[in-house]
Amino acid sequence: MPEATNVETTVRVLLEAAGLPVTDEELAQYVALYPTLRAGADRLYMEEVRYEEPALLFRAGATREETPS
Amino acid sequence: MTVARTIEDAAAALRRGEVTSVELTDAALKRIKKLDPQLGAFLAINADGARAQAVQADASFAAGLDRGPLQGIPFGLKDILATADQPTTANSLILDPAWGDGTDAVVTERVRGAGAVIAGKLVLSEFAIGAPDDAKPFPIPRNPWAADHTPGGSSAGTGIAVATGMVLGGLGTDTGGSVRGPASFCGHTGLKVSFGRVPKWGCVPLGYSLDSIGPMARSAWDCAAILNVIAGADARDINAAATPVEDYLAGIDAGIADLQVGVPTEYFFDHAKLEPAQKVAVEAVIARLDELGADVREVSLPHSDLAKEANTLTLLAEALSYHRLDMASERWTDYGANTRQIIGQAALFSAADYVQAQRFRTWYAREAARVMTEVDVLVTPTSPGPAPLASEQGDPARRLTHPSFTGPFNLLGYPALALPAGFSEDGLPLSAQIVGAPFSEATVLRAARAYQSTTDWHLQVPPIVEADGAG
Repeated sequence: MPEATNVETTVRVLLEAAGLPVTDEELAQYVALYPTLRAGADRLYMEEVRYEEPALLFRAGATREETPS
Repeated sequence: MTVARTIEDAAAALRRGEVTSVELTDAALKRIKKLDPQLGAFLAINADGARAQAVQADASFAAGLDRGPLQGIPFGLKDILATADQPTTANSLILDPAWGDGTDAVVTERVRGAGAVIAGKLVLSEFAIGAPDDAKPFPIPRNPWAADHTPGGSSAGTGIAVATGMVLGGLGTDTGGSVRGPASFCGHTGLKVSFGRVPKWGCVPLGYSLDSIGPMARSAWDCAAILNVIAGADARDINAAATPVEDYLAGIDAGIADLQVGVPTEYFFDHAKLEPAQKVAVEAVIARLDELGADVREVSLPHSDLAKEANTLTLLAEALSYHRLDMASERWTDYGANTRQIIGQAALFSAADYVQAQRFRTWYAREAARVMTEVDVLVTPTSPGPAPLASEQGDPARRLTHPSFTGPFNLLGYPALALPAGFSEDGLPLSAQIVGAPFSEATVLRAARAYQSTTDWHLQVPPIVEADGAG
């Protein structure tokens, strides 16, 4: 688990990089949640998945009508 | 006039001439006027439009034109679906008021074409995620069985309106459980369809690869009648499946003597946060299916806990992609506090994490497909317990640490139906989930119909409706 100070720095940098203008209170919430979020994502890197293709699909030439705007 | 509780009964009464659509609609509007101020189900009520549609439905019956069971039925739409005659808000200050202006979503076109009477637009969690925010100018939805408990999200308004008979059926959307959660907590039936079964054009997105639009109504029969209208490809939705549509009512009463039922114990039944009352209720559903002739066996669907993680990560990443232009601006606080808190979590993941979630998805889909070669349906709890207190709904830590028994089936794109299974000691609805292989909605609905043919949990109404005098 990262050091607490590194967590705050990491979270602050990631939120700033995304341009999200969070308040100090919101930043504290994200800092508190980050270890759990990170652990959940890390658990997806499991051995059974090592050689799987992602479930992504792109079909060359496929088009669609725009959504309402 | 006694108001029918199901579309099935109301449709029969309309055809016997025992009631008119105008009478059904006036009764629904009267109930909306009385109950909605307490329950917060509607964002916009379309009384004049509904009456006009009811008059048209009665004229159709008189002329011998019958467009099926939805004709003349009071109906509601989650306010994330475009309607040409009413604005769409997504329950948010953010959505451009011009979005969908003058346009019907594909599903709106289809329910209108089937003669449904659209009573109005229904409350949801903002952009189909998050929790109600009393700092924003939108109704706070309340559970009709206990006002201090959540009605579930995100299709809260549809759940409340169906449970209380403000409408007899409606549409919700489901990305991680947003049809099944409100159906579970409000005590009626709700079907998350296979990914691609129902076209999404004209629906504000949440998670592009997970979203589905599904029926919410009292019974499996009613959900089948709605699905008959909204299912099928449309060229405007590239994800809409070309898989042929079945008549979902045709075999619904065929029974389940041939049905193989799988019970995935790991995660869905052995999680520490599964409440005993919910577990007992779902085990009783399984026992009843067994009594009705199904072959019940235990199956193994490993790493379903990670399927919840993968579904959440996928949902959040796709949502932030859609919202970032608005979120990374002075409009950040125009979002509800809970909405922005949740969607913003996606910024803490990496692009590789998103791809890894899709690689896990491939693996989990293979595991699930293996299970579905052994059985026709799975039965699980819909949620760990009955509706929690509304004050707990927005707790971000709870959201992260609580299990989701619905999200794994969004990740898989499988159809999954929530059905009432009893009540807790506190009088809150309990719910079981029936899951099928992709595009096996007919089998899922048949299983639910068999159960509901021998039980009446799905017909129970909250005391607030009985007090209304029209229960």
